[in-house]
Amino acid sequence: MISRLAKLRSRTRSHRVGALTLAAAVLATGAAACSSGGGSASGSGGSSASASLKIITWVNPPAVQAINTIDSEFEKKYPNIKVTLQTAVNVNGPYETLLQQTVNSGDADIVTANTPLLPLPAKMTRSNETPIQYWITNGAFAPLNGQSYLSDYTSAAKAADTYEGKTYGLVSGEYQEGVFYNKAIFARYHLSVPTTYNQFLAVCAALKNHGVQPLFTGLGDVGPVYLQFEYYEAMTDLWYPTAPGGNLATAIMNGTVKWTAPQWVQAMNEEKAIAQYLEPNYTGIAWQSMQGSGDFGKGTAAMELDGSWDLSSIHQADPSLQVGYFPIPFSNVAADNQAYSQNDLTFYELNSSQNKTAANEWLAFFSSPQIYAQYVNITGISPSQSSGTYSGFASQVMGSWFGKGVNQTVLYPALSPNNGYYDQQSNWPDLQLSVMQGKMTAQQAAETYAKDWNS
Amino acid sequence: MAPATVGAAADKAAASARKSPVRRRSPARLLSRGSRAAMWGGLLLGIAVYVLFGIVPMLGNVLISFTDYTGLPGAAVHNLGFSNYTAMESTQAPGFEQGLVATLVFVVAVTLGQNLVALLFAHKLTGSGRFAAVGRLLVFLPIALGVTVVGLIWILIFNPQQGPATSFFGLFGIHSAFFGADNWAMPLVIFVQIWQNTGFSTLVFIGGLRAIDPSLYEASAMDGIGAWQRLRRITFPLIAPSMTVSVMLAVVGAFTTYNLIYVLTDGQYGTQTLGMLAFNVAFGSFEANLGFGAAVSVVLFVMTLVVAIPLMMLLRLRERRLLG
Repeated sequence: MISRLAKLRSRTRSHRVGALTLAAAVLATGAAACSSGGGSASGSGGSSASASLKIITWVNPPAVQAINTIDSEFEKKYPNIKVTLQTAVNVNGPYETLLQQTVNSGDADIVTANTPLLPLPAKMTRSNETPIQYWITNGAFAPLNGQSYLSDYTSAAKAADTYEGKTYGLVSGEYQEGVFYNKAIFARYHLSVPTTYNQFLAVCAALKNHGVQPLFTGLGDVGPVYLQFEYYEAMTDLWYPTAPGGNLATAIMNGTVKWTAPQWVQAMNEEKAIAQYLEPNYTGIAWQSMQGSGDFGKGTAAMELDGSWDLSSIHQADPSLQVGYFPIPFSNVAADNQAYSQNDLTFYELNSSQNKTAANEWLAFFSSPQIYAQYVNITGISPSQSSGTYSGFASQVMGSWFGKGVNQTVLYPALSPNNGYYDQQSNWPDLQLSVMQGKMTAQQAAETYAKDWNS
Repeated sequence: MAPATVGAAADKAAASARKSPVRRRSPARLLSRGSRAAMWGGLLLGIAVYVLFGIVPMLGNVLISFTDYTGLPGAAVHNLGFSNYTAMESTQAPGFEQGLVATLVFVVAVTLGQNLVALLFAHKLTGSGRFAAVGRLLVFLPIALGVTVVGLIWILIFNPQQGPATSFFGLFGIHSAFFGADNWAMPLVIFVQIWQNTGFSTLVFIGGLRAIDPSLYEASAMDGIGAWQRLRRITFPLIAPSMTVSVMLAVVGAFTTYNLIYVLTDGQYGTQTLGMLAFNVAFGSFEANLGFGAAVSVVLFVMTLVVAIPLMMLLRLRERRLLG
């Protein structure tokens, strides 16, 4: 009896072992399948047959809205092509991962990016190329030469993404960085738009004396990289006017100009002086709050340091907010105070795309005058097409500055000729934050960076 | 020995030999052929999946760490030897040195904090009353929330302008950017990691505490032994296995954490641990250097082993010493 019972228990246990093993295997298979992720094929076939077109971009709400609108209109014109837009938040974060994975896997037809091809490092190595530079120079994207829509764009826009005679990117436009100001607050305190550095500090001081927070920005989640709203402008106004040949980037790269240049030390000292007018704890304020939900959008801060890509979002958050724009004046010579601009959302066609015909039809559709004007008006981007009339909120706010500015490609150099990004000892925005927070002097920051650049 | 006796002994031995396989039969052989096939099939499938999705990628990662692999199909891949590793060792990769320090600080603080807090909770929540049941649920809840939700909750709480923590610290004249401040970011990230994972350690300790025979406490009470001595002489020794499990999970979990940091600070403001560095180097905007990122992850793996294996041996020794 005992023996039979034992046998029965043993058999029951064995069945349990078997069942558990099988269950574990099934679970492991499921878990592995989940963890390994999975991309879907981008579809096949040209535009004549039914096709699916996949585009990826980051979440800049107006741009996503504009592309979705264009996709709907495109599908009406080309009912046999189904367009899918995949997005990831924050171009400085999750989108980088999505972009890299998509380019490597070929799981899209059109990808977007906002990092420039130019300037290329003087001596290119794998470690000092940015991903865009690496992908373009290694054939990840299809050249657009021969496509009729390219002729709609300015030669500068085409040159920005041209490598060895082939144009790889369709630059949809450029954004300017600078100051958005609340016109009502300026009027209330009888303040004029400053055109020199001293005037700017005086405006900030006057606002502070009236109990109004002068400046607003947000570095939370992204870190000091968004100090670019100051340092690019500072370089534009103080350093760029002295650059040989009108190209500071090249001058730094070939050593004609050093990182320890007095203009740059002065620029960082001025950044520090301006920082005292930013809201308290600006390094912890979420960058998304610059899109209208922060102190500027709520009308409690008089000015916001930002890029014009956020203008449409600010307007949507509060259409009654009267917004104006001016470049941060870092120089006391008014004529030197220019806007800084950078090419933004650029479309690239993946070389691995099975839908190149459909992709080109989409890009041609995007480039058609009416659709492109609609895109510019929704996003607020400064146009890269040679002609057109625009009436969006951003064009009204930017006024004469709309579409103007010193472009990043002639301002900021490629990575150090000797060291890649992660081989450099110091991170440039971190150093500037240290200066602004009084942890090191501007001279020390300049010397530290110069040392790394040359090491 | 008489032949008859020998023959009988031989028969007995033969019978014994025939019987012995039955006696030595493994549990698996008790199963029917179909069940055995299912068991081995399931086992082999599990092993195959583990090898395919666990071991092979791990070995692949080690191989990639010696190259400049980018993942771009058709792009040339160069053998760099140990360059990715020597770059870390030299002063050329400051992110590594800072990441190493940040990782060690994070691991030590999380392991100590998580286990101390969990012990305290377990001590209070071992009972079967309603308070204990609700307490256990609340303590375990953060694990169910997931990393992104947990991160967003704490970002909102420590919002430098409107967060409740800002108001609270403001009462004491403390104003900070919190997750955006060099001196606050790492302690807060450690705090959130502990907050999220304490529930699991608490359950492990509760399991250990419940396994202790109550008669031991009753006997010690009758002998007039005080609370501290009971804790020291009975509770701590008998929950040693739970301590081993909880400490090991906390250590390994802290070494490999990057997702919570990614949500909270993106590795900014002194919070870039090696896990975060590996992610940023491999998938960041400036380089997308999978080779270097793989090398960092290999170093992190070796570090974890170097710390975890001796620690495991020490904890096992401690268990044997305490439990006799």
